Amino acid sequence: MLYIVADMDAILTENLSKTYRSQLGKRQPVSLDGLSLAVRENEVFGFLGRNGAGKTTTIKLLCGLIRPSRGKAHIFGEDTRRKESRRLIGYLPENPYFYEYLTPRETLDFYGKLHGLNAAERAAEWKKLSEMLDLGSIAEQRVRSFSKGMRQRLGFAVALVGDPKLLILDEPMSGLDPLGRRSIRELILRMRDEKKTIFFSSHVLGDVQQICDRIGILVKGKLTRHGRIQDLLEEHVQLVEVIAANLGDAAVATIGGMATSARTSEAGHHFIVPNLALANDIVKAVHAHGGSLAEFITVRESLEDYFMRVQEDRP
Amino acid sequence: MRILAVAHNTFREAVRDKVLYVLVFFGLATLLGSKALGWISIGQEIKIVKDFALASVSVFGVLIAIFVGTSLVYKEIDKRTIYTIICRPMARYEFVLGKYFGMAMLLGVVTGFMGIVAAGYVAVLGGKVDATFFYALLLIYCELLMVTSFATLFSSLTSPILGAIIVFSIYVVGHATGILVDLPEHFDNTSMKSFLEIMYYVVPNFSNFNIRAEAANDVPVALGYVVWSMVYGAVYTAMLLALASVAFENKDV
Repeated sequence: MLYIVADMDAILTENLSKTYRSQLGKRQPVSLDGLSLAVRENEVFGFLGRNGAGKTTTIKLLCGLIRPSRGKAHIFGEDTRRKESRRLIGYLPENPYFYEYLTPRETLDFYGKLHGLNAAERAAEWKKLSEMLDLGSIAEQRVRSFSKGMRQRLGFAVALVGDPKLLILDEPMSGLDPLGRRSIRELILRMRDEKKTIFFSSHVLGDVQQICDRIGILVKGKLTRHGRIQDLLEEHVQLVEVIAANLGDAAVATIGGMATSARTSEAGHHFIVPNLALANDIVKAVHAHGGSLAEFITVRESLEDYFMRVQEDRP
Repeated sequence: MRILAVAHNTFREAVRDKVLYVLVFFGLATLLGSKALGWISIGQEIKIVKDFALASVSVFGVLIAIFVGTSLVYKEIDKRTIYTIICRPMARYEFVLGKYFGMAMLLGVVTGFMGIVAAGYVAVLGGKVDATFFYALLLIYCELLMVTSFATLFSSLTSPILGAIIVFSIYVVGHATGILVDLPEHFDNTSMKSFLEIMYYVVPNFSNFNIRAEAANDVPVALGYVVWSMVYGAVYTAMLLALASVAFENKDV
């Protein structure tokens, strides 16, 4: 079957909402509230939020594990309520669970069958994925003896069965040691290079900042911010340091009066201001006093600071 | 293909988790226990062995069908193994049917193995194993498939404990449907009688599948009756599996 997926959003949600019901049918608080989001093909999108913010609910909705209470979601133009939408998805759940009595080879073979691959395709898939994820040495071991890192590698291999165009990863680095995290990070980057679209949730903000093209932040089920990391962080400059040379004492005193703080070092005269507008005024003043600009340093907030600010609803 | 993959995996789980070995051990122990009963029933040893063997196949089969069956789908949700399965391009009914057929394979192996051993044992004791004995085994298997379809339905809806209680109750009532229509006279022209009559047709009639007494006593049973009972079981089972698929279709996992 041929799937035409060019020029299409990999993920498109419109007012996607979910309210769970208890066993007795009672409605619980809203888990996801009116999510409208587009993830473009070939981009790496980081989905952030605190525990219970609605990240896993969104992922489950995209993968067809739960049904939306309101709204719609499309994967490459296909409604997520249709099974065809799942042909292009590779899903790695948080703490992936597999049949404990199977070996990695049998596990991949099983998922290959579910994906509709024939015997030759499944054998080729095992060869490719076992090499990529270093599963060869544990090919005949039962999953029940696996460490967290080994399970995560197997989970990644399962997600890649059938060569999906979109990878949906729920907390792929959760609970891993630094080496494990690094290997998953490298895998994600490799998938990005292979032109796959990657949508993943994570608490490890450093990794998100390194890997993602764009991010979205969920707060209590609502998408409060989304965009390119660079653009989002650009908005909030923490301070600017202007280093100038060739200034007389009088000029240093005058310009220092305009800055939050000032000092002199071997590199020159340092003027620290809280924003870019004031920094521009300092630069103009330096030039007006016959000085020269040695360095201009902008200190922006980290993704972690930004994330915390969004959570606390600070401007 | 997908249904078969899930079925094969369900069967493989039972084999690897040693469920089969335990059942076969208990089945054979019960079969041999029938020998002891045979000793105290002078001249009726063969009859007792046949009766006891068929009863043990039925009892063990029903225990597997209820206790394994009611956790079939529930366990996959509880252990979260279902996440990576139904996010594949497969319909949910394929998963439900796959789990059911995996159980059917397991019960087929258990029934077949215990039946063959029982038949061999009867032959060793010098008894005759006729068609009725195998008809009885076949109908026990049909009954087990029907009980499993009930278990699969409740496994998609509720917890294994509650499911097991409900299915066991249905099993007990299904063996005593006669009392729903053989009512005393004072029930005549009452709404209760009408209600019980409706229930008679709704509740599965498991006694249709019980020809164990005939098999033990070498009383011939018409093939037509066996076929009719199988068709009854197949129709009922198909309806229950359709219901289980519908129940699972919109379930949040």
